[in-house]
Amino acid sequence: MSVSELNPSAGFREELAARGGATAARCYQCATCSSVCQLAPDDGPFPRRQMALAQWGFGDELVSDPAVWLCHQCNDCTVRCPRDAKPGDVMQTVRSLVVEKLAAPSFMGRLVARAGSTWPLLLGVPFLFWVAALYGVNGLQFPAELKGFREIVPHWLIYVVFYPVSGLAALAMLVSGVRFWNMLGSRAARSGSFFGNLIPVLIEIATHKRFGSCEAASSRRWGHFALLWGFVFAAATAGFAVLAETVLKTATPLPLVHPIKLLGNTSAVLLLVGGAIVVYNRLIGGNRTGASTAFDNFFLGLVLLLIVTGVLTEAGRFAFPPALAAWVYIVHLTAAVSLFVTFPYSKFAHFVYRALAMVHERMARPQGV
Amino acid sequence: MTATKQKPILVVGAGIAGMTVALEAAEAGREAILVEKEPAVGGRVARIHNYFPKMCPPACGMELNVRRLEKNSRIRVLTAAEVTRADRSGVGWKVTVRQEPQYVNARCTVCGDCEKACADTVADPFNFGMSKAKAARQFRPDAWPRRFVLDKDAIADGGKTVKEACKFGAIDLDAMPREESFDVSAVVLATGWHPYPKEKLPELGGGVCRDVIANVEMERLASPSGPTGGKIVRPSDGNPPKRVAFVQCAGSRDVNHLAYCSGVCCLASLKHAGYVKEQIPDAEVTIFYIDRRTPGRNEEVLAKISALPGVKLVKGKAGKVESTPDGALKLRAEDVEAGRIAEGVFDLVVLATGMESNLKGAALPFGTALDPDGFGLDDPEACVFVAGVARRPEDVAASVRDATGVAARAAAAARRS
Repeated sequence: MSVSELNPSAGFREELAARGGATAARCYQCATCSSVCQLAPDDGPFPRRQMALAQWGFGDELVSDPAVWLCHQCNDCTVRCPRDAKPGDVMQTVRSLVVEKLAAPSFMGRLVARAGSTWPLLLGVPFLFWVAALYGVNGLQFPAELKGFREIVPHWLIYVVFYPVSGLAALAMLVSGVRFWNMLGSRAARSGSFFGNLIPVLIEIATHKRFGSCEAASSRRWGHFALLWGFVFAAATAGFAVLAETVLKTATPLPLVHPIKLLGNTSAVLLLVGGAIVVYNRLIGGNRTGASTAFDNFFLGLVLLLIVTGVLTEAGRFAFPPALAAWVYIVHLTAAVSLFVTFPYSKFAHFVYRALAMVHERMARPQGV
Repeated sequence: MTATKQKPILVVGAGIAGMTVALEAAEAGREAILVEKEPAVGGRVARIHNYFPKMCPPACGMELNVRRLEKNSRIRVLTAAEVTRADRSGVGWKVTVRQEPQYVNARCTVCGDCEKACADTVADPFNFGMSKAKAARQFRPDAWPRRFVLDKDAIADGGKTVKEACKFGAIDLDAMPREESFDVSAVVLATGWHPYPKEKLPELGGGVCRDVIANVEMERLASPSGPTGGKIVRPSDGNPPKRVAFVQCAGSRDVNHLAYCSGVCCLASLKHAGYVKEQIPDAEVTIFYIDRRTPGRNEEVLAKISALPGVKLVKGKAGKVESTPDGALKLRAEDVEAGRIAEGVFDLVVLATGMESNLKGAALPFGTALDPDGFGLDDPEACVFVAGVARRPEDVAASVRDATGVAARAAAAARRS
């Protein structure tokens, strides 16, 4: 067999190493990792096989491997690895490479993948945009007494910005998702209906049952769970708020006991708790949480910025001088735009990729798991 | 050559390596002092049922060595003794050796009357505590020096009954510890090893499941002098196991445990598979391994054992061993060659644990430097040498070869003194 028949993707090992997967080189294929993984199916154990592919530089094989996404990085493998090869980190790095490779447009993928150096751009551009837009709208003049945030940013401006931004992000995610789905399909025959298999996957995601079977980072389940539901409730809050304003013509700001307000505050509490658990785990975790790469840190940092400025914005209306409350709100909007724009290219996208991989897994194994 | 009498060589540890060093040096004309911590010589080898590749019982080699020891007036053996102090003295060392109280003296004829009279028992250290032994007993069958031992603290009446039972006046309940100083020309550390504790491997059932045993315990189970008289049984119910699994590299080649390969466990498990098949011909034996390390003529053992019906070798390290509700053991591994999880139910699981140097973490009166794995390094300037598994993990044959070389080096260093 010639080298070209083996076809290791040129430069893949170097790429993987540079992005946080250098420890793959330590692996000696003992398979402890596969045997301790609670998530790997018996007839397709991981991550031992993926570690071999990573060592040999079989990038195409790895990038199209659904197992990479079935991994929840609970790090049972990394904790037990006798070579400290950190399979959990390697799998996470491969996922970040998938996100980058399937990005549409591709320059956005490269930009967010290098968030370690590009984060000033990813945050600065939205910030300058808001400052410029508000200067144009009201000359950055804030009222002496703040009754509602629409006095700082009129709601029409919010709609004008967020409708296209979220629409474009959704479109980009859709393109990448279709690419990913087709790539998985080219590897294994599927049967059954997509939506029929999506429902049990969504139930699994909603309950985080698989996450619960992990041992090394069991507390991570609840952090992730709280963040997920915090985001779902926040999205619902936004949706209901738009409906209330545009359809029901409800007056804003809403009273604190209004159901939409209660939902919003519930999401804030969930996000705060989830964010705190995730940060705490990363601070104390070591091998149990795995290494934090720029890919992880940018997303987590953005989410934390969004949560903290969100809570401060809400409190600021009562507690801060109007100018301070206004600037906190502008930073909050900056984080929101940045999160929306980078969604298909950041760690946030794992929500879509993992869900698709889980649906694929069910359809490629008709007997189910 | 000087006309004055040469100072002796001190050998610490009377296992197969230490005995070999002392014998080779003495037979070449040197004086040697052999200090052993246990009440009898033999160390780890004495606890093996058969050793590879020829599967001889240790009695063969050991008996020969004991006869060489008895015959050789140039060797002084101190058992139940340890070096407590060492100071440089000229080229060599001045050492102090402390010997535990010898409650049984040289008048003992190994008649066994004291053992019969003794009602108290201790967890037998020779059998890793797997069985009870009388507080007055022979340390092991054929133990040398040929006399009984008395665990005085374990005897309720302080030993009065056993003393009365002895017809030869060999029991001295007032014996005191003794200290003796020696001027020695060179020092050889042959302090050996201990098995890596299986309790450090709870995920593999070590210390958690009764029927998860260490490879050294398998040797005792198979040995006629062992706790079951040589019957391989499950510790929990005493039944012969029908399904036996071996977990290779249990705590070895593992940065969380011992980072190195002990080099003997692959062979040991193959040998154990042979023990099991010999006693229980219909037993199913599965060996879970990362690599099969059987260099040289050991390859023949691999070929022979793996060809036995009912013996299976699975590539893939076992990651988890748990008890099942019906008292069996469930083991999980990936069968790498099949690309799927191999989950098996077994009656007995043997952890192939490695060898840890006794020098590691020990107080070292000779200032011996250790390598990162805890094995000792020679210090020719100080006339201190290391032999056997204290130097590096190796099998019995290699240990003997190694010890012979060390004897020559120590003798050469001693000549300078």
